[in-house]
Amino acid sequence: MRRHLAALLLAATLTATAACGSDDGGEDAASPGQPDKVTVGVIPILDVAPIYLGVEKGFFTDRNIDVSLELAEGGAAIVPAVVSGQYQFGFSNVVSLLLAHSKGLPVKVVSNGNNSTGEDDKDFAALMVKADSPIKTAADLEGKTVAANTLQNIVDTSVRASVRKAGGDPAKVKFTALPFPEQPAALAAGRVDAVFVVEPFQQAVLAEGGRKIASSYVDAAPDLTVAVYFASQQLIGENPDLVARFTEAMQQSLSYADSNPEEARQIIGTYTEIAPEVIEKVTLPKWPPDVNRDSVQTMADLALEDGLLTEEPDVNALLPGTE
Amino acid sequence: MKSRRAVLGVAGLVGFGLILELAPRIGLVPQRYLPPTSRILGTLVEQAADQRFWLAVFDTVRTWLLGLVIAIALGVVVGVVIGTVPVLRAATSSTIEFLRPIPSVALIPLVVVLYGSTITSTLVLVVYAAFWQVLVQVLHGVADIDPVARDTAYSYRLGRWARVRYLVWPTALPYVATGVRLAATVALILTITGELVIGSPGLGQEIATARASGAVAIMYALIVVTGLFGVAANLVTRAAERRALHWHPSMRTEVAA
Repeated sequence: MRRHLAALLLAATLTATAACGSDDGGEDAASPGQPDKVTVGVIPILDVAPIYLGVEKGFFTDRNIDVSLELAEGGAAIVPAVVSGQYQFGFSNVVSLLLAHSKGLPVKVVSNGNNSTGEDDKDFAALMVKADSPIKTAADLEGKTVAANTLQNIVDTSVRASVRKAGGDPAKVKFTALPFPEQPAALAAGRVDAVFVVEPFQQAVLAEGGRKIASSYVDAAPDLTVAVYFASQQLIGENPDLVARFTEAMQQSLSYADSNPEEARQIIGTYTEIAPEVIEKVTLPKWPPDVNRDSVQTMADLALEDGLLTEEPDVNALLPGTE
Repeated sequence: MKSRRAVLGVAGLVGFGLILELAPRIGLVPQRYLPPTSRILGTLVEQAADQRFWLAVFDTVRTWLLGLVIAIALGVVVGVVIGTVPVLRAATSSTIEFLRPIPSVALIPLVVVLYGSTITSTLVLVVYAAFWQVLVQVLHGVADIDPVARDTAYSYRLGRWARVRYLVWPTALPYVATGVRLAATVALILTITGELVIGSPGLGQEIATARASGAVAIMYALIVVTGLFGVAANLVTRAAERRALHWHPSMRTEVAA
């Protein structure tokens, strides 16, 4: 009995002492006149340039929102942090959110994130092979190994769409999980036959003489919405006004970034470590203000077809209302 | 004698740096993925001019020291209490042996759900990992009390507090010092790991950002900084150990040799 007690006491002390260490990042109830403080979980990639730009331009403070952006390593930590209320908003790709939603997590999209450029061969992400590879099209990937940053997610779903479009059998393509930063080296060393990389690693593969064989985000759906900003159902229920103002500020930020790509490039240099000469060269995503609902439905259908989802997801319940 | 050791130590480090300079230059490893030492050090100098770098250093040092202090305080207090009460010691030993080998990183999913990607999350990992290093050493130290000294203390009817102060503490101190030295390194490792994996602010997070940006030289430059911290931790704890234990036979013989 005593040992349980000791363990409990120990655990309690550890937690208590640790908890008093620092800021508990929770939402602060807005007192009148004070701006709403929100924390947004983002990833240090090109895609989130609009929110950085929007914060800098004051689009959020104009709407009485005090945004602090927190870089989370990889998107995996963002969904639980938003659901538990650590973050009020988060950035995530649509397939991750469809999966989270289908598992019953109370998440809902509040704003568009970023889209593919919609132009084949000129997207911010590409399916690539080595210069001397015999692989010419995505259909040649049958029996070959493709590196994807995470399995059973947006990347392999999109690559399978490319394979299908090129007339191949997507079930015969093998995927192996490898983070984006490791993919150029793995391709160069021949450890994988193809990679699906986003910027700035597309530039890294190009610099080694790599070749694009498909723009999978373009093949998956026209003007695909790749990622979105989302909140928990709880926050939307408790503070719909805050969420509405956040959505408005995001729309302004997205439009601004989309029409001022030079400013977007400039702000990317402030929150990433991408070399300035690479930032000049990278292909930026598109930042339309609204979610492309059809593309999300297409991704949901593909995810269902490929077995990521076991039942038809309710896309309308995940996406913001149509007004 | 001492200066010769220092010279050899520096020579070893320079040799290591030279190998890492030459390996990419002669094409043993691609420069793109392992830049030569000179480039890494050049990048480090550039980083040192950046305010963001110093903020990250500050965050890391703060998490590290805070975690270390909490772990040492808890480890010493809990260790002395458990160690001096035989019943407690017997009752907790199996629980400690169960909890101690659990790798701190295995708690990452738990702390992320509880605290998100905040410094608190990393701090929990740091304290958890460093605490056992101190606790186990203290327990050994308390168990090492000389029976004659203990009996003498009882004969003189020293009170509980006096026994802790004049008998238990001096006996355990060398062990505590070892525990602190081990804990300092473990705490540093967990601080960087937490920042790297959880994304709480600090050098680890900057390493992750550099990696996600394909900025290889910056990534290695930051890793060099964490190595320097490790060296500094070892030097400081060893110096503190010598100072606190100048009276102890182990330190006296070291000086004599």
